Amino acid sequence: MTTSVTAAPSPPVAPVTAGGIMRHLNVVTGIVMGVLLATATWWVTSSTFPVLDEGDHKDDAVTILTLVAWVIGFLIGVGAFVGPARWLLGRDLTVEDEHYLAGKDAGVARYFRFTTDHKVVGMQYLVTTMVLFGFGGTLAMLIRTNLITPGSRFVDPATYNSLVGIHGITMIIATIIMVSGPFGNFILPIMIGARDMAFPRLNALSFWLLFAAVPVLISSLFLGGISTGWSAYAPLSDQANRGMDAFLVTIVTFAISTGVAGMNITTTAVRMRARGMTWSRTPIFVFGTVASVALGLVAFPMFEVAMIELGMDRGMGAGFYDPSIGGSGWLYANLFWLMGHPEVYVILLPAIVALMEITPVFTRKPLFSFTSAILGIMGIAGLSLFVWAHHMYVAGWAPVLGGPFMVTTELISIPTGLLFLVLLGTLWRGRVWMRLPVMAVYALLWNFTIGGITGIYLSDIPVDQAMHGSMFVTAHFHYTLMGAGLTGAMGALAYWFPKMTGRMLHEKAGAIGFWVAQVGFNVTFMGMFAVGLAGQPRRVADPGTYFRVGNLISSIGAYTIMLGMLTFLGAIIYSWRAGSVASASPWGARTLEWQTPTPVPLENFEVLPVVTQDFYGYGEDGHRAAAGAPAPGTPGGPGAPPPQGPDAPPQRVEVGAP
Amino acid sequence: MSTGRHEGQRLDTRTTWRRPPVLPILVIWAVLTVLLLLFAPVPARLMGRPASPTMQEIETTVTWFTGLSAPVAALVWAILLYSVFRWRHRGPQPPPEDGSGRRDNRRVFTIWVLGSAVLCLFLLVWGLVVIAPRTSEANPAQEPILVDVTGQQWAWSFTYPDEGNKSATELYLPVGQTVAFRVTSKDVIHSFWLVQLGIKVDANPGETTVATVRPTQIGTFQLRCAELCGLYHSYMQTTVHVVSVADYEAWAQSPAEAHS
Ligand code: HEM
Ligand SMILES: [Cu+2]
Ligand SMILES: [Cu+2]
Repeated sequence: MTTSVTAAPSPPVAPVTAGGIMRHLNVVTGIVMGVLLATATWWVTSSTFPVLDEGDHKDDAVTILTLVAWVIGFLIGVGAFVGPARWLLGRDLTVEDEHYLAGKDAGVARYFRFTTDHKVVGMQYLVTTMVLFGFGGTLAMLIRTNLITPGSRFVDPATYNSLVGIHGITMIIATIIMVSGPFGNFILPIMIGARDMAFPRLNALSFWLLFAAVPVLISSLFLGGISTGWSAYAPLSDQANRGMDAFLVTIVTFAISTGVAGMNITTTAVRMRARGMTWSRTPIFVFGTVASVALGLVAFPMFEVAMIELGMDRGMGAGFYDPSIGGSGWLYANLFWLMGHPEVYVILLPAIVALMEITPVFTRKPLFSFTSAILGIMGIAGLSLFVWAHHMYVAGWAPVLGGPFMVTTELISIPTGLLFLVLLGTLWRGRVWMRLPVMAVYALLWNFTIGGITGIYLSDIPVDQAMHGSMFVTAHFHYTLMGAGLTGAMGALAYWFPKMTGRMLHEKAGAIGFWVAQVGFNVTFMGMFAVGLAGQPRRVADPGTYFRVGNLISSIGAYTIMLGMLTFLGAIIYSWRAGSVASASPWGARTLEWQTPTPVPLENFEVLPVVTQDFYGYGEDGHRAAAGAPAPGTPGGPGAPPPQGPDAPPQRVEVGAP
Repeated sequence: MSTGRHEGQRLDTRTTWRRPPVLPILVIWAVLTVLLLLFAPVPARLMGRPASPTMQEIETTVTWFTGLSAPVAALVWAILLYSVFRWRHRGPQPPPEDGSGRRDNRRVFTIWVLGSAVLCLFLLVWGLVVIAPRTSEANPAQEPILVDVTGQQWAWSFTYPDEGNKSATELYLPVGQTVAFRVTSKDVIHSFWLVQLGIKVDANPGETTVATVRPTQIGTFQLRCAELCGLYHSYMQTTVHVVSVADYEAWAQSPAEAHS
């Protein structure tokens, strides 16, 4: 099939000129430009900046500016600024240019340049997420290997601290993008019946900003590592080595990337929904993803500010966090957690709503209590802005505020409970078609119960006094971030894999990998709860002999996770290349992304859909609406009519494109 | 829960809760609840024998929270288990028929929200009531013994203003007396954690934070740093000796070096 369904075949000369200078720019020119600009900046700054007496700020200033120059150079080289530059020159893009930018007929090359098609961006995010997980996971294995025996025998404490810091921030970045990146970009616009995102070029920009941040993050390995943990508490981060400069440039770049992506996704969901898709007919995945990225829009600027201040401390001796000249570590801690707590829900919400999309499909039932889902999402998003100081109960900062923050924190359990109600209510009495995507629902509900309950322990101030800074906290948040978040993302990947790659994910290998990882996960973090309760602080290279058994158990669990994840990854890679070909709608789901052919054509729909009811109408009027879903392996073919049985209710009317 | 037509719409005259799936789920729920209740004392056991009323209180709270969350977790898991074993549809194709089209259930929603609100209220009251006496402990009947604690990369040091500014690198405390720690740091943030006594407060450069505790067990305990503070963070620990009042007096009189 061909991907061009939108325009008449272009005249043969058009491709030669379309795109202008963009024809010559791609990731390679980006890297070259980035390296050139970084080198030039390094040379200029290190030969001109003075060395001041009262501190060694020069190295840091040079490092920060060099890394920033890399980011800017890369963006220039990849062509991110060509669009704005052309506007400034008063030369707007032609239709051919737009098509060129969208990667029309460009094959694999379009994944390696500044391509605006949201499906390309989604794929780029997917691969980047997996690379980040691979990197962060490798570091995790090194950490757990060191903890197999007491005495920090595998690596020295300095290396250990760096591993912990880089692991932490890598995983945080990966989990933030793991759902809203790949699926928020690839799936969401199709799901709402749009031809692309609201701002396609900003979409590409958000990805390439992220891409530019990855080498900066990795460069920290060679600049002494991130020795402060991902929370980078000041003033420790003021005095840390130059890995910290890489850290802060990574964060600032990433925060801009999420800001751009957040605005884009929000605008898309608000403005570009298909005709007839009222809010009450909008799939829950859209609500949750928008809530997540909108929450990020509020939260991440805090981190950005905190990091800019840190950069000024390190590069110019500004002293924001230096108590000896009037600064305060509490300022940093507040800014950090103002981001930090909302961020955990930025991570969790898209994963949960993806599963809310999946559950009705595999139980053949409507989503239970749409209202609860909305209330839960809004309640969580709202409250999560007002709980940050539960991370600072023992900081000594404003002890009188402990009570109020405990109240807000514990109130979150009510909207969180609503999310459970929605999933359980949907499972209730449903004939569950037990495929890989829905398995994630079971795993998530198991893990998230434990994660949520242990969160309640921590929200109690006296208990937190014992638990704060211990492995108990580490176990708690892995149960939520990994047990709930990553588990949900794996379900989402299994679910949308056929649409995105055109092939079915190998069910058996995928499921084996998934469950091995789940078992390993529970072993690892149960062991971690135990050593935490027994008094092992987190982030210690050498916990001591007292905790030997618990740590050994955790490490065995970690190796089990690795086995499972590698199997899952193997299933993905195998299926992507050689899996059985997927039909347009292998699950018989109703949302719009399944009503368009696979592979999805350039502008998604030949005719834009009109929505007349929501997408959860399973079992209504005794009909089986999605009857005739072709068996996996039967190609749907281009323009295959959406699966509708003869007796299916008229759920959508298709009208001609404008 | 659901009163919907299902399973061939057999006429079943039993009351809702006695009909499947409710009854079997209730049974699984009861079993799981009992198991979890049996598990409830385990976390406190892992935390070790409490060496102060504070730690005692914490362990009680942990046990209660575990006990109270037992039925909640059991409910979620009971439905999951039942669903896996009884509602599972096997095969490469979706089930031939859709499930019930029911989208909502007012009663369940109401019960759910009220239930979680009551639990939440309980947590709040519990938490706030426990904090209340803690704040008033700031001025107890008996003057607390003062200890100035200083963290620095990567060691702790203590001075006893009441004992002529005697200084030490291991902590000595008399049993049964309230001690107030004034905690600060010379460089970065550390966290002063008396593990078995159940108190923790950050040591911030340029600030002094306070924590009080009354040790009730004679013995040796751990002080560990609980905030990553750089290279040797994991070795930033020392021993806490809780001794009889007489032994404490003797120690306090001894010359500064004699203790280590
Ligand atoms: C059910 C409600 C939850 C409550 C009441 C809760 C409570 C808490 C509390 C009080 C802390 C601070 C512990 C400490 O450092 O002393 C904490 C830490 C944390 N929680 Fe939760 N939590 C909940 C759910 C979640 C969820 C859903 C996520 C993520 C998806 C999450 C992620 C985290 C993370 C990442 C940390 C630690 C960050 C760090 O110190 O590095 N929590 N939680
Ligand atoms: Cu939090
Ligand atoms: Cu420390």
